[in-house]
Amino acid sequence: MEATSRPILVALGSEAQSLRLIHAGFRLARERSAPWLGVYVDTGHGAATEDAEQVQVWMQEAQRLGAEVQSVEAPTLAQGLADLTRRTQAQALVLGRSRDRWPWARLGHSTADELLRRGLDAEIVILEDRPPSSRHPSPGIRLSAMVGTFLVMTVCTGLAWLTHRGGNLSLVLPVYLLGVTFIGYQWGSALGILASALSVLLYNFLLETPRFRQAATHWPNLLFFLLMLLSTQLMIGLLRRLRDQASEVRRRELHTASLYLLGRALARSLDPDEVATTAAEHIRRVFKAQAWLLIPEGDGWAARPGSLDVAALPTPAELLPRLVWGEQAGDPLEPVPVGDAICLSLMGTNRSEGVLRILPGVGEPLHPQTWELLKAFAVQIALALERLRWLEEARKAQLESETERMRSTLLGAIGHDLRTPLAAIHGAAGSLLLPSDMSDSTRRDLLTMIQEESERLAQLLGNLLDLTRLESGAIQVQKEWQPLEEVVGSALGGLERRQGALPVQVELPESLPLVPLDAALIEQVLVNLLTNAQRHAPGREIDLRAWEEPGWVHLEVADRGPGIPANLQERIFDKFFRLPEAGEGGVGLGLAICRAIAQAHGGRIQVQDRPGGGSSFRLALPLDGTPPPPPEGAL
Amino acid sequence: MNQPLILIIEDEEALRRFLVPTLTSQRYQVLSAATASEGLAMARSHNPDLVLLDLGLPDRDGMAVLQELRSWSRKPVVILSARNQERDKVRALDQGADDYLAKPFGAAELLARLRVALRHTLQADVEDPVVCGGGLRIDLGRREVTLEGQAIKLTALDYRLLEALIRRNGKVATHGQLLAEVWGPGGAGNTHYLRIYMAMLRRKLEADPTRPKQFITEPGVGYRLDLDARGD
Repeated sequence: MEATSRPILVALGSEAQSLRLIHAGFRLARERSAPWLGVYVDTGHGAATEDAEQVQVWMQEAQRLGAEVQSVEAPTLAQGLADLTRRTQAQALVLGRSRDRWPWARLGHSTADELLRRGLDAEIVILEDRPPSSRHPSPGIRLSAMVGTFLVMTVCTGLAWLTHRGGNLSLVLPVYLLGVTFIGYQWGSALGILASALSVLLYNFLLETPRFRQAATHWPNLLFFLLMLLSTQLMIGLLRRLRDQASEVRRRELHTASLYLLGRALARSLDPDEVATTAAEHIRRVFKAQAWLLIPEGDGWAARPGSLDVAALPTPAELLPRLVWGEQAGDPLEPVPVGDAICLSLMGTNRSEGVLRILPGVGEPLHPQTWELLKAFAVQIALALERLRWLEEARKAQLESETERMRSTLLGAIGHDLRTPLAAIHGAAGSLLLPSDMSDSTRRDLLTMIQEESERLAQLLGNLLDLTRLESGAIQVQKEWQPLEEVVGSALGGLERRQGALPVQVELPESLPLVPLDAALIEQVLVNLLTNAQRHAPGREIDLRAWEEPGWVHLEVADRGPGIPANLQERIFDKFFRLPEAGEGGVGLGLAICRAIAQAHGGRIQVQDRPGGGSSFRLALPLDGTPPPPPEGAL
Repeated sequence: MNQPLILIIEDEEALRRFLVPTLTSQRYQVLSAATASEGLAMARSHNPDLVLLDLGLPDRDGMAVLQELRSWSRKPVVILSARNQERDKVRALDQGADDYLAKPFGAAELLARLRVALRHTLQADVEDPVVCGGGLRIDLGRREVTLEGQAIKLTALDYRLLEALIRRNGKVATHGQLLAEVWGPGGAGNTHYLRIYMAMLRRKLEADPTRPKQFITEPGVGYRLDLDARGD
């Protein structure tokens, strides 16, 4: 078996340290691209004390990070690990120092030492216990605390003196007790102890008679001091724990609530920009810090939201592995300081979706206590990004299959429509070239046919090109505010110049506003609609009207043709759809182009039955944006 | 009589095969070139009366050829543009091309455009103060406009726009050119001014403004005044 594929073993227990072992194992396995195994050795007598459920949790975490997990039974930990190391031919064994329960095991008799003595053909990696980070760093004694202590002691002594003078000795002790407890709780145990001693001395010097007696030699005084110290320390401890518990509950509530709010907001986000904006907003509120999502794009980063000088950041190739393997802890979610900021990998199900970069506000450092919440935020954001990526991938796949289907329909339809005019042109040109005494009129007929068929070909190709370019977004709609009259005139004038007068009644109110539209495209819609109307109801009246409605302008082309069956009124806008009874001419692209143009304008086109027979095509164009100012000195 | 000499710069063989005999049969003298460099060399050596220039040439950008031609010649240049070159077309017109033909075009259309473009050069020095056509009569000297004998009242801006179109002599005028001529440098970008005034001019001078016969819109490019069209 090759060294690279030999597994890495990680010895797991129920202790919290196991999480670090798991991450270290994961990191080592990634570095060496080797498989890794999470192992729990059941020594029988330990099973009762070790929390089996906690072991299960660590096993699951190891599995999440790609480990295989295994549980073996053996008389001792070292025995079990050694057997397994041999059996799996592991290249490395990761274990923690604290797997040995008793202090004397560390003096040459630890599990690690024993494993070393067994001469295993494997590297043994021992993780030291991490020094427990003090949760409440004791603040230095500040001047205000000293002054406070002094004041409280003065007040207590004053009260004690008053009660003492009243002959009520029993009240002295509770007064001091309360004072000292308050000091210890408020300003720390150091001042608490100091206050205890002080209160004994004060009591002695000021209150006991005769005064100035040596305090320490008087044993009740010493007892008084000790009792005072003990009871105040006890009370302080209880109060502290109560306070910590309350604040812990509050913190958890806050964490849960902020996580819930973030999760809910992210679930509603529809694109990475929205995810980034939402995440940044929540992080700003909860952590008082600025946040960006860095998403790998090419060789660099795309930073969202807003702008960020991404050139100054380490490249994805550099930063991502550092984060994913965890810089020190081996935890792929561990925040890593990069420059002024803190970066977290956005780990999704099986890969990093990017990086969360957090810049703490000035004077608002990110406390390590909040890192757990930050990690939970990162997971939520990663999952949101991953969900969007999967959605996008699914959409792409669907689009691809759709395109594929379209392409085959297209090929079928074009094949036929292209070949017919080509065959006619080819045939006519061939017979014109034959030596024959063809009459002039026949010759003219053939030539006319060649011209007509080639025009049809050109139109078909033009339509196809336009549609493809419209659908692919290659045609940019260039909206300009202009009178509808000009577009109508251009379409109608153009048609009539080519084909002679058309029976079109135009009704355009002079009060119509300017409309933002792309003249060339809307002209094509009109030409297509008018040509259709003429084809389906030759010689009959066509009505072209326009009217305004708040926010919209409607343009209608209505004919007196045979009309369109209600069940086909949607489908006629599909590509290559032709009415069954439609005769020659047209390939079923005209209306598809109309719809594509209407949509590109943010408008719509529909057909409906016309009262009195025929159909009416209505194009609705939005009047969006601010109309330009009227010409100076005009109208 | 000396027939006008036309130089065709077009890389597509099929189009040259159609253009050369069509023009020769109309008794034009014809030269043709397949590349920009060949075309420019011929233009220098033969000094043609008109150049038909394709914008999509293999060796050089058509726009660059136009600029070089314009650096020494004021002879008309007509652009042949393909379907997806709308923007190049307007740029070419703004940079001194006289007119354009969108492919595919028919023989009749081609000959009509050539006549208009050549008329411009051949009559350049004949200043006729009166222009007529399609029922319209415009006396540029007296600033009088009549339609079917009826005097028409035009505002100063209407008249300036009409004048600018007449000066083009049947050739297309781009939005940019008209805005600059009528509104001056401050008019640039206010295409809607032009459209509004054009609509007013049509209402006054066209028989049916929704079917313009003379004040023709070239979508995405500009306008053309065709006084020869019959306003019936």
